[in-house]
Amino acid sequence: MTRYVLRRLALSIITLFLIILIVFLINNVFPSDIGRRLAGPFAPQVQVDEINEKLGTNDPLINQFGRLVKGVATFDYGDSYAQNRPVSDVIGQAFWRSMKLLVYALVLTIPLSVMAGIFAARRHGTVPDRAVVTLGVASSSIPEFVSSVILQAVIGVKLGWFHVVAKAPDGASILTQLSYLTLPALALVIVYFGYIARMTRAGVIAALDADYTRTATMKGLSTTQVLRRHVLRNGLQPTVSVVGVQIGYVMGSLVAIEKIFNYPGLGLTIFNAASKDPPVLVAGVLVVATVYMLATLASDLVLAWMNPRARLEVSR
Amino acid sequence: MSATTPLTTAASAMPPSAQPRTERSMARRERWRLLRRRPGFIAGSVVLLFWVVCAVGGERVSPHGPLQTGFPSSQAPSGSHLFGTDQLGRDVLSRVMAGARDVLLVSPFAALLSVIIGTLLGLIGGYIRGIADEVVSRVMEAVLAIPVILMGLLVFSTFGTSKTVKILTIAFLFTPIVFRTVRSVTLAEAELDYVTSARLRGEGPLYIMTREIVPNITGPIVVELTVRVGYAIFTLATLVFVVGGGRPEEPEWGNMVSQTYGLIQGGTWWPAIFPALAIASLVIAVNLIADSVESVYAS
Amino acid sequence: MDWKPFDRARATVGPEGLDLIESYSKGRINRRDFVRRGTVIGLSVPFLGAVIAACGGDDDTTSDDTAADGGSDTTPGTDTGTEPADTGGATGGIIRVATQKPAGPLDPVGMQDLGTYGIVAQCFEFLTTLGDSEMSPGVAPGLAETWESNEDGSVWTFHLRQGVKWHDGTDFTSADVAATMDRLAEANNSGLNGVIEAGSVDASDPAVAVFTLLAPNGNLPYLVSLYNAQSVITPVAYTTGTTLDASPNGTGAWKLKSFDAATGAEFERNPDWWGPAPALEGSVWSFFDDEGSMVTAASAGEVDTLVQFQFIGGDALFNDDNFTVNSFQAATHRQIWMRCDTGQFADPKVRQALGMCIDRQALIDTLFGGQADIGNDHVIAPVFPYFDASVPQRERDTEGARALLAEAGFPDGLSAVLHFGELQEIPELAQLIQAQAAEGGFTLELAGESLDTFYGAQWCPGEPADPPCSGAAELGIVDYGHRATPDVYLNAALSTGGVWNSSQYSSPAFDAAFADFSAAIGVEAQTAACKVIEEILLEDTPVIVPYFYNYISGFSNNFTGVRVSALGQMFLDQAAAA
Repeated sequence: MTRYVLRRLALSIITLFLIILIVFLINNVFPSDIGRRLAGPFAPQVQVDEINEKLGTNDPLINQFGRLVKGVATFDYGDSYAQNRPVSDVIGQAFWRSMKLLVYALVLTIPLSVMAGIFAARRHGTVPDRAVVTLGVASSSIPEFVSSVILQAVIGVKLGWFHVVAKAPDGASILTQLSYLTLPALALVIVYFGYIARMTRAGVIAALDADYTRTATMKGLSTTQVLRRHVLRNGLQPTVSVVGVQIGYVMGSLVAIEKIFNYPGLGLTIFNAASKDPPVLVAGVLVVATVYMLATLASDLVLAWMNPRARLEVSR
Repeated sequence: MSATTPLTTAASAMPPSAQPRTERSMARRERWRLLRRRPGFIAGSVVLLFWVVCAVGGERVSPHGPLQTGFPSSQAPSGSHLFGTDQLGRDVLSRVMAGARDVLLVSPFAALLSVIIGTLLGLIGGYIRGIADEVVSRVMEAVLAIPVILMGLLVFSTFGTSKTVKILTIAFLFTPIVFRTVRSVTLAEAELDYVTSARLRGEGPLYIMTREIVPNITGPIVVELTVRVGYAIFTLATLVFVVGGGRPEEPEWGNMVSQTYGLIQGGTWWPAIFPALAIASLVIAVNLIADSVESVYAS
Repeated sequence: MDWKPFDRARATVGPEGLDLIESYSKGRINRRDFVRRGTVIGLSVPFLGAVIAACGGDDDTTSDDTAADGGSDTTPGTDTGTEPADTGGATGGIIRVATQKPAGPLDPVGMQDLGTYGIVAQCFEFLTTLGDSEMSPGVAPGLAETWESNEDGSVWTFHLRQGVKWHDGTDFTSADVAATMDRLAEANNSGLNGVIEAGSVDASDPAVAVFTLLAPNGNLPYLVSLYNAQSVITPVAYTTGTTLDASPNGTGAWKLKSFDAATGAEFERNPDWWGPAPALEGSVWSFFDDEGSMVTAASAGEVDTLVQFQFIGGDALFNDDNFTVNSFQAATHRQIWMRCDTGQFADPKVRQALGMCIDRQALIDTLFGGQADIGNDHVIAPVFPYFDASVPQRERDTEGARALLAEAGFPDGLSAVLHFGELQEIPELAQLIQAQAAEGGFTLELAGESLDTFYGAQWCPGEPADPPCSGAAELGIVDYGHRATPDVYLNAALSTGGVWNSSQYSSPAFDAAFADFSAAIGVEAQTAACKVIEEILLEDTPVIVPYFYNYISGFSNNFTGVRVSALGQMFLDQAAAA
């Protein structure tokens, strides 16, 4: 087990290195005059040259890449080009904001969709089952920017139930912050309800059909006992792995949602850094990728804990 | 976006057995018969067909030209403009109909390209293994670890948003997912007797991969293709929404929503909501088809 | 008429003042323009009031004002920016301001966007500042209490306010003014370029700043006002590139408490400010990337005031009973530039043809709900007192456009790429122009891009550097912000070798007309010079100017006394909770 985790972590480091390389390459395909972009179109050339000199953006690419990797390895991302403060400050703040939103959304989504999935699976083939499936397909087919816009217009403006901007005033209590985050969290709920509910349903149906379930029922256990002891333990495994993968992908949905709700989280920060702030961009993408890898690793470990057979598979 | 999981499970559920050719064509006919009996497939196909007609028919089927201005601006839906007019005095229905063309051109192409490349790499990874597999797998994993929207954002902001860039970007983003699926089924196939016997007959790896393995993994590949088309539509719309396009007049659904969603709270909901519903309807239609294809292959 | 005040006036005002008083007394300019011009040349408001009274101006007090402010959508009585805070609402409280996110660092010299102007102008002040209200948009004493010029307007003397302290406790003196002006001169500030050079300001008396200009200029008080946003007075210790957040300072009513480039800023009251103590304790500014979310936030009551918003997408606020919309005439406009030196538009007939395709009224109705002045392909906005309305308006004539194109050698029309930056209504404007121009034989392909790259790639690329902007695209749309005088537009965008001359327009006749305008003293002479400029530009059409649109801002009815300039500077010193 420990060996498995260590191997996964070692592979993760290679992956992170490759991510830096990919992002760096895309960002440097075209020569970009970072100094000009930062100083603005009207700044004197002297000032532009000064900035480029200071940032070393005229150095050979290989040197720039070397500096970048070295910075990442020593956890020293330097200063943001566009904002006068360390990258770790910029990304750190944005990261915690996004995590609040993410955790809130997951706390709402997981129980709701797992219950819907179990509900549908136990009524496999009936109208309520089909309703859940259709709802699931529909909700995961609506892009998050579409649902955000509708939520904002209807619940935020028309009904006035929740705030339409996601960022609470500084120093607000956690409850106030949550009330501000409700609409964007709901937008995430809509996107991920479908995946998780359908996954749960499929897993539970398979588990209900399995031999061990039949044996348990024949042994005379009550339906609830069978469900709790056997079906859920096995049937929820696909759900766990999908939640792990989704946590990574949620980070992508954040871009559109944070844009619409004007929430300066990781998505918006990366979006704004895309053309003019390489250190923030690279750091942001790395943070997202790390979260993704940790989430999949965690879900694999949970799977292994739930199912000893999987433990063998993963350590293969 | 894009969860990949439903198909990996479906794929691993594939019965990995070598079938003679006649049996395969019989199975294909049987699957087609099953497919036609599924209401989801029928409903999805009808919606898809509608959009295909819009895309092919162009201005011959839409009431006005998508770029034609001069109607009173921001008119609510009415008899003369079923979907109303937008803030610049254009007919929203005509624009939404014209928007089908771009999406139906780009998404299937992108999905197909990703499936072709992903399958090639997946075969190499799953059958040849070794150092090539390690390298490809690591790179694919790195691409996968960056959410597609972020990756697309990077690519779009560097290369712009022409049709070619869109197709290549989506193909690039989806290739690792296809790769992962194909690689895992190929791994399973490679263990089977028919592959071993082919190897003993002295067939080369190229022959074994293309003539022996591929026919036996068409199921997962077809499923992957249909599912990817749905995600391509979804992902493209989101990317266009976030990044914006250089050509604002283009009747592209994501573009239309991003230009007009700010008008909703002023009461002008129709220019944003109709293209949004168009995106949703097409993705749902393709997903219904994909779901049906998947379960027919699985049964 | 009581002529006595004029006798007194002759003794106290210079030639410019006399000319102005005569123009007004003979009815050649209206009261609003009289006050505006008067404040610029340094006449005090009581004095101007006396002249108005002497001319029997009382009878048209209200009608003249409202008529002059033609585009205003404001309910009368809500725009009471003049009311001092202490007689108005309660004291205390914080106002929540929504603004577009500053596009770059808070560098007073290098800043170029309304978002940054607004933040910087909270702390720093100008020599001359916003007039009492938009009803009289002249300039009022800021850090300078009074000012006057010599006979020909080549030497200007500003008497500085005494007892003003920087936020760090040091005294404000003329050395700060001189240092600021030197920095602006070195950075080729668009308003002061060619007007002053480094060393033009004499600071030997700490209480007086004497500007010796490179050439006479009657508009100098505007060029050191809030209408030249970079001319905020910064301390001697600042250098080019120093930012407000890195070195917080200022002389203004508000001190920077916190700043985060991604989210917003906070300001607190400066207890040592020289003016009457503001009623509010401070303000919280939120930055928005997206105008839609900004308007949504205002309709939902999440913010109290918007520094600026657009008509399209802002309709909700126009119909909101809890919100006061403040819309006033401005010179803000868009120029559709066409390269005059090379390419398909080198023949003036082609440029005129494109101008004839434009349905200006349709643009104004669609993009601004009518809240804009029609443009006539020159940069003299109707808001300027010396605008000459007698030059005939270019009307839409697509047949005529096709005929001109054929004459110019394009019988089958021509194709071109229209470049633009993604700013406010410009993408929509581009789409409408595309559709309108198609009817006149132009096939335009639209190419929009982010402002991050647009200016440097399409409008005025750094290379080739000489002449400036000679690397500009053949055809494009660029934004020009409000100015109190047309000098920047005429100088930078249209003069031979101008720093923003993206059309590469070079006309000796125009250059001469511009020189005449700069040297003209008095409204009549300036109007006459403007007429020539208007005619030349209409004939040559180096740029198409479809409209000048109103500046629109607004605030919640929970507050009073919020004032804003057409360059995004918000004045909260008289604001109070209602």
